[in-house]
Amino acid sequence: TTTHPLLAQHRWKNYQGVMASTGRVLPLELIDKAIGSKVWILMKGQTEIVGTLQGFDDYVNLVLADAIEYTTVDGEIIRKDLNAEILLNGNHVAVLVPGGNGPEDSMAVAAS
Amino acid sequence: QTTQSAPATSIASRELRLLIFDNRLDKQRQRLNNMSSNKSGHPASKKKESILALDKMIDGKIRVKCLGGRELKGTLRGFDELVNLVLDDCEEFLRDPNDPNSITDNTRKLGLVVCRGTQVSLISPEDGMEEIANPFLGDDE
Repeated sequence: TTTHPLLAQHRWKNYQGVMASTGRVLPLELIDKAIGSKVWILMKGQTEIVGTLQGFDDYVNLVLADAIEYTTVDGEIIRKDLNAEILLNGNHVAVLVPGGNGPEDSMAVAAS
Repeated sequence: QTTQSAPATSIASRELRLLIFDNRLDKQRQRLNNMSSNKSGHPASKKKESILALDKMIDGKIRVKCLGGRELKGTLRGFDELVNLVLDDCEEFLRDPNDPNSITDNTRKLGLVVCRGTQVSLISPEDGMEEIANPFLGDDE
């Protein structure tokens, strides 16, 4: 089984002698590692956002560059290139996928 | 495996109650150890204890229900006290486009994800659930 590169980095840090009682990854650390790379955000409803993560705060409000907004209406995905740096309110952020490319990505094609 | 005497109780909630009970036993043992070794209790430095021992589910497969109706399944790699989760090989269950409240067995792959604790409504072991016949239907007579 292949390990996701972001997880592998964390495990390597543990093996280098950094005191860690467990091999577990802190969620906010993983978000921190994703700064500078593309993230795919799934919101509470049917909205998704893809952008380059510039930073975040304790509430996981996000600053994303070159943001693209995807909304799903009746099974149709509507893509809107915002082409801007946005501040995304963390209130309705449900899932973050570091390195994710969005719903159009072939990896996200429905697999049963 | 469901018993006739407890039709409304799903296997998932039973397993969760076992985990919670286990956690409480651990805390009682800790308190007993502290008492016997004559340590003074430090109420000021008391860390908030979760009622759900997620560290027992690390590297296990879990199913997460989110507030907006999203359902995910994946391998738990990490968490924090706010119940933010790190899920590996995560898949999202797809919903019927006509009926956003329905849930199908079709999934789409997400990969390594962070799930926000503020949006989590339920966590259960992936194989801790079984669909049973509706136990309430007989009451209509």
